[in-house]
Amino acid sequence: MSVPRTRLLDLMKVQCRIFSHTFNPEGLRLGNKVLRQRLKGPVLAAYYPRKISTLKDLRKAYSGPDGFEIPNDDHDDWEENHKIIKARGKGAPKKKRTAEESKKFKGKKR
Amino acid sequence: MSMFRAKKLDLGCFVNARVIRDHTKRKVFAEHEAERQALRYIIRNMELPARTRAQAQLELSQMHCYTRSTQISNRCTEGGKGRGVLRDFKMTRFNFRLNALKGLIPGVKKGIW
Amino acid sequence: MTTQIIRSLRRVTATPIPTASLALTTQYTPTISPPFLCRRMSTSPFRTELPVVEAPPLTTEPSSPAYLNDVRLPRAVQAVYLRPLRREATYDVPACDLQLRSYSIRNLEFFSDFALRAAYYLNLPAYGPVPLPRILERWTVPKAHFIHKKSQENFERKTHRRLIQIKDGHPETVEIWLAFLQKHAYYGIGMKANVWNYEGLGLGATMEKRAMDMKGDLDQRWALLGLEKGKISAEEAIEAINRESSRAQFGGKTPRLPDTE
Repeated sequence: MSVPRTRLLDLMKVQCRIFSHTFNPEGLRLGNKVLRQRLKGPVLAAYYPRKISTLKDLRKAYSGPDGFEIPNDDHDDWEENHKIIKARGKGAPKKKRTAEESKKFKGKKR
Repeated sequence: MSMFRAKKLDLGCFVNARVIRDHTKRKVFAEHEAERQALRYIIRNMELPARTRAQAQLELSQMHCYTRSTQISNRCTEGGKGRGVLRDFKMTRFNFRLNALKGLIPGVKKGIW
Repeated sequence: MTTQIIRSLRRVTATPIPTASLALTTQYTPTISPPFLCRRMSTSPFRTELPVVEAPPLTTEPSSPAYLNDVRLPRAVQAVYLRPLRREATYDVPACDLQLRSYSIRNLEFFSDFALRAAYYLNLPAYGPVPLPRILERWTVPKAHFIHKKSQENFERKTHRRLIQIKDGHPETVEIWLAFLQKHAYYGIGMKANVWNYEGLGLGATMEKRAMDMKGDLDQRWALLGLEKGKISAEEAIEAINRESSRAQFGGKTPRLPDTE
């Protein structure tokens, strides 16, 4: 009554041929799982965004005496703000030229 | 490392020595991934002669560390930090919070419920 | 008054026979003044059955500016102000599943409405928009950049989804519909479509035959590319591909080709 093993194997072989499966009835370790893995190289390599040209590059490219001037809103705002701060007297202190000037505490050490 | 590093920088995000290193590793891995997978297959195939498998093992171990996927780590695109980086946004927790509160991340709102 | 009569017009046309192409009757409908109608959404559930008014004679001269108020808009334009019409599917065999995802509901609703109308005009029975369960992603993040873990903040992102299913669609028509939607894609909406084609047995031979038939189609296009045999050698081509600048153009993703030596 039971079906012979060879017949079952033949059936499996035909099934695998039809559905493009691997035929491995004994379950040998042939390393096919490595071949099945998807390559993830391109996805990982695209993690960091690539360099694109910015307004900064445009300004640099078209600067000069016979170039164009592209207005920089952020820089203009900063300049205005800085003028106000300096007018108040809160701007950056003068750069110390010598070691003597840069001493924090003047006077004799005890 | 110096043999793999690109002569011209092609990064648009925050640039750091570590970020450049990680970027180089990613590119090198993408290049050599097929070769690595082939060697791994040879090692794992029981039907092949033992000598071939041993040779493949040796070759795989001798490949430069930059070809390994385990060397790659996700760094923050805003600050270049390696720790506390969220995968969905490629940013550290703090940078994500700053940008989310400014409204620069589409769809993200303060979760109040 | 105007809107109620328009709704009865919709009633008249809602027949299950798919062959009728906007077979609206010639009964009189008062003119639509769009600003007034826009206040009422065409998707409101409000419905009344009112008797259709017989056409009164036009009182204005064709040359007068008031004439435009007496003339109705084209039927297709009138249809825009009403809920989208649907075609009936005879066999209920799904041909395409289109999932629309967005972070906001308004533009999603608008675009799904647009997709349904497009499907109607292409004679495709469209079912939907089915609202799939909303995806909710949450992140809890410390407020400070260093330590102070005890004070954190929650952020969330809700993704709304709509599913539009096309049943009994011809594969080419479905392709046209999808291409149309891609061409007129709305901002902030992601689309993903699963398309099913039903073929008979012996598909391998059919596909082979189709490939052979299509072989000559692209020859004209290839000729336009300008790459003539013998003009550039294989080494030069490989060197060009491996050059840093050309690889950087493709985001550095492409693997380098080995030198032929």
